[in-house]
Amino acid sequence: MLRIKNLKCSYGNIMAVQGASLSVNNGELISIIGANGSGKSTLLLAICGLLTSWEGEIIFKEKNIKGLSPPSIVKSGISMVPEGRQIFSPLSVIDNLKMGAYTMYRKGMKKEVSDDLDMIMELFPILRERANQLAGTLSGGEQQMLAIGRALMARPQLLVLDEPSMGLAPKIVDMIFGIIKNLRKEGVTILLVEQNARAALKISDRGYVLETGKIVLQGSAEELLVDDDVKRAYLGRDYGDFYDGR
Amino acid sequence: MSNTQMPNLNIGEKNQLKLERLQSTLNRACKNVPFHRNRLIEKHVMPEDIISLRDLEKLPFMERTHLGLNYPYGLFAVPLRDIVRIHTAPGTGTNPSISGYTRTDLIIWQKLVARSLEAAGVTPMDILQINLPPGLANWGRDYKDGAETMGAGVIPNSPLSLAKNLMVLRDYKTTTLVTTAAFAEQLMDHMFDNEHNPNELNLKRMVLVGEPLTLAQTKPLEERLHVDVWLNYGLSEIPGPAIAFQCSARCGMHLNDDHILPEIIDPETLKPVPYGQKGELVLTTLSARAFPLIRFRTGDMAQFIEAPCECGSPLMKMEWLPERSDNMMIISGIKISQHQVREYLKDALGTDQPDCKMEKFRHGGTESLGISLVIDDRLFSDEIKSLERLINETAEQLAEKIGVGVKLTLTEKEHKS
Repeated sequence: MLRIKNLKCSYGNIMAVQGASLSVNNGELISIIGANGSGKSTLLLAICGLLTSWEGEIIFKEKNIKGLSPPSIVKSGISMVPEGRQIFSPLSVIDNLKMGAYTMYRKGMKKEVSDDLDMIMELFPILRERANQLAGTLSGGEQQMLAIGRALMARPQLLVLDEPSMGLAPKIVDMIFGIIKNLRKEGVTILLVEQNARAALKISDRGYVLETGKIVLQGSAEELLVDDDVKRAYLGRDYGDFYDGR
Repeated sequence: MSNTQMPNLNIGEKNQLKLERLQSTLNRACKNVPFHRNRLIEKHVMPEDIISLRDLEKLPFMERTHLGLNYPYGLFAVPLRDIVRIHTAPGTGTNPSISGYTRTDLIIWQKLVARSLEAAGVTPMDILQINLPPGLANWGRDYKDGAETMGAGVIPNSPLSLAKNLMVLRDYKTTTLVTTAAFAEQLMDHMFDNEHNPNELNLKRMVLVGEPLTLAQTKPLEERLHVDVWLNYGLSEIPGPAIAFQCSARCGMHLNDDHILPEIIDPETLKPVPYGQKGELVLTTLSARAFPLIRFRTGDMAQFIEAPCECGSPLMKMEWLPERSDNMMIISGIKISQHQVREYLKDALGTDQPDCKMEKFRHGGTESLGISLVIDDRLFSDEIKSLERLINETAEQLAEKIGVGVKLTLTEKEHKS
């Protein structure tokens, strides 16, 4: 579904991604793991069209997405759940969800949007309870559910999640990963970027390890979970080590 | 599809998978192994310059001598604390070749070996017996692990006499024997010479390793022992066996090219030959963690087979050819470097350049290295006993070093008339 070849992304003189190649096949849940500054989020920004100056190839459903605007990329089937949720705090939960279906609204697909809203409320019952509440008043976990729900409102073929566990309590992280796992079971193709490597790999089919902009390892989740290098670099730390001081 | 098989990808997806693995292998190798890093710098190539599989040609070759020169751990790409198994092979020079596996490497090799056994029809209902010479003991462990992974019963490799081996084959109801052609032929001859009817055995198949075999060699085994013969290709210096294997179509061998990238080059020009032409097989590991090989020259001659396989597997195919591009000899499936043997003789006998001839020596079904050494003034002694002792000691020590039996004889220098 998604094939990236030799992707290079720079911020001025700093090359954040240095020739990375990776792929996501239909129905797969793929994790990209790596430390802070390894280039994970930059890679996602390039996929979603939010970073324009990159070299290489990003092929989504056999089409090169180079030069496409972010809305066109959403229309082509890629939706992103950004790092830190980025929900619209002053808007209500329901309005946040409707914003996710912006491109469908513009096409006049009101009935479909209404059905999708029901589907999201089924998936996250707490959002139905909080439908008219301002999004900024939700808890961290609820905000993350809202951000995922908003991305799903665009009916994505590829759901891209950037650090969905960030800033959440361990129990809530488990719940969010449970939700992601269920989405994959229902056939959503998912690309997940995470520092919480163990939690991510446990629900993934395959994973890539990104180090200073280069992919240094990839394999099945089963293989990566027993890899000593991965364990030492990413699995040894507990949740607190990742987020303390951020 | 079992989880040992390569996923059924189209050509674009397959090439993407190989490119991703090649790039991360190069990133790891250059980051962790000074040998690889410096050789790439010398060639003015950086890992990020490899943007397609064709770019493999830009990389320098690795040869067997590099393994000995970097003895013991100079080519390891992970800290020693991550190594869970260390293998030793005779090598080609003074030092042996040492290779290592991480836990992840072992999982991958188990799957590859299981893949080759599944292709030979082995199922969890089978009992697999391994009989390999000491020089191929590493493979014995890999076959044991691979067969156990797929749930087959395993009788591991252990040094047994021929009669004991036959007893185990018969009484333990072995269905699959993993061995060398030399042992298989020895077993066949022994059974017929001693009036053991092959019907006494439950044996259904033999997986033969170590050397390419012709139909003329496998047919008598199949007919007389009522078995199917399956060939596996591997390298004894590095992990491990079953790099390529025969499938039910029995036309050439499948390469595990999702984990090991093959090339075929002209051994003279070192350039890739056109697809389908004969040349030397060169291998690059795509998933090895501990011991990555980059363009390793095997010395084995092969040619790719272009036609898709009847069995439906997407893995590449090759024909393994009997000739070699180096002067290595294959004895009981073990590759012997003639250069290494000469070097050893030089040290052991104190001669500058031992004048000797080497050939495969076969006695009673077992293969050993026959060396006829021309006796000169320096070696000569008027005491037969001391000459005999020198020969025996040298042969014993050499056998230990190279992993096959050695028969050393002295000959007189031929005088030109």
